[in-house]
This record gives sequence, C-alpha cells and structure tokens, in this order.
Amino acid sequence: MPSAQDIKQRIEAAIPGAHAEVEDYTGGGDHFSATVTADAFDGLSRVQQHRLVYEVFGSEIGGPIHALALKTLLPSKIPTP
Amino acid sequence: MSTSQFEPLPMSASQPPGAPVSSDESNPIHDAIAGAIAEHKVILFMKGTPEAPACGFSARTVAALQSLDTPFAAVDVLPDPRIRQELTAISDWPTIPQLFVDGELLGGCDIVTEMYESGELAEALR
Repeated sequence: MPSAQDIKQRIEAAIPGAHAEVEDYTGGGDHFSATVTADAFDGLSRVQQHRLVYEVFGSEIGGPIHALALKTLLPSKIPTP
Repeated sequence: MSTSQFEPLPMSASQPPGAPVSSDESNPIHDAIAGAIAEHKVILFMKGTPEAPACGFSARTVAALQSLDTPFAAVDVLPDPRIRQELTAISDWPTIPQLFVDGELLGGCDIVTEMYESGELAEALR
C-alpha cells in the first residue's frame, strides 16, 4: 500500500522539477490528495496537466489508488482564491 | 433536480442476446459513448445518477453544475464496467466523473470544482 511519501516521491521523480505536497486523507493508503507545482505544466491546459500526473501511476489509478485528488500549479502562479 | 436530464445509453439494446460477437471494428459501447459526447453540449459521466450520486466526487460535480442551473445529460458508468473502460479509452482520463463540454473533456471533479470556484465554469458553459 503506497504512503503519501511514496506518491510524492514518484511524482517528483517522474516530472522534472516538480514539487508535490501529498496527503493521505483517509489514512488508508488509497485516497490521496496532491498539490503539484511544476514548470512542466507551462503552456498546458488543466486537463493536460492532470494527465501528466495521472500518467505517473497508470492503471494504479482506479485500482490500488482509489482516488488521487489533484491541484496543479505553475511555480510562478499564486493560487487564486 | 429539474435542470438535469438522465439519459441512459442504449447499451443493452445495441447488443441483443444471441447477436453475433462484435468484431474489432464494431464496438457499440464505444460508438454509443462517442455519439453521446458529440450530441450533448454538456454531458457528465458519473457514478450513480444526478438524483442519487454513488460517489462523493460525482456528487460534488453534479452540485456545481446544478448550482449554475446548467442543463446536462448524465451517464451512469456503474451498470457495466465496459462503459468506464471505453470512456477512458476515448478520453485518456482515468477517473470518474468526467465532464465534457462541446465534445471536449473539460475535466474531472478537481478541475470542475476549481473552475466553479473561480467563475471559469460558468464561462465555459455559456
């Protein structure tokens, strides 16, 4: 069962320059929420940004990883309320 | 809610019992999903129905659409696992719900919620 730390490391290893904050929000090792900041998102739509992160986990999403809530940000951008 | 319309895809009708096994070039579920996406300006693939969502993420997405008074078609992916398989093959998106606007994937629950909160969703649905 992956930990929040595992998820964070895999995202940061797969997406160059990415920084991820990951929370296991049920504590069960299968529902995670991640905020990922990366230059690689520049010029991509939100759908494309989320796809980049989902691709790290392939078929594990919907399998062992039941949910991965995502928020993607560009390093220069402060999230708007 | 009165703003939503639930339209089940004709899955069972497209493959009557005893029908010949479909070959690779004939995929009625794939075609029904692609057709539904093309036909409806706003269509949500979800777990459960707008009246009875079967998942918190689907419920949140429905709530965003309903609070904008957006008419939308909805398809429940739960009755047949092939619906989700074919949908994911079409959209290249692994999770449910999935919201399509004008034939394009707008996003899943996170993106729809983010766009709702920023006011972008109302713009996109206009």
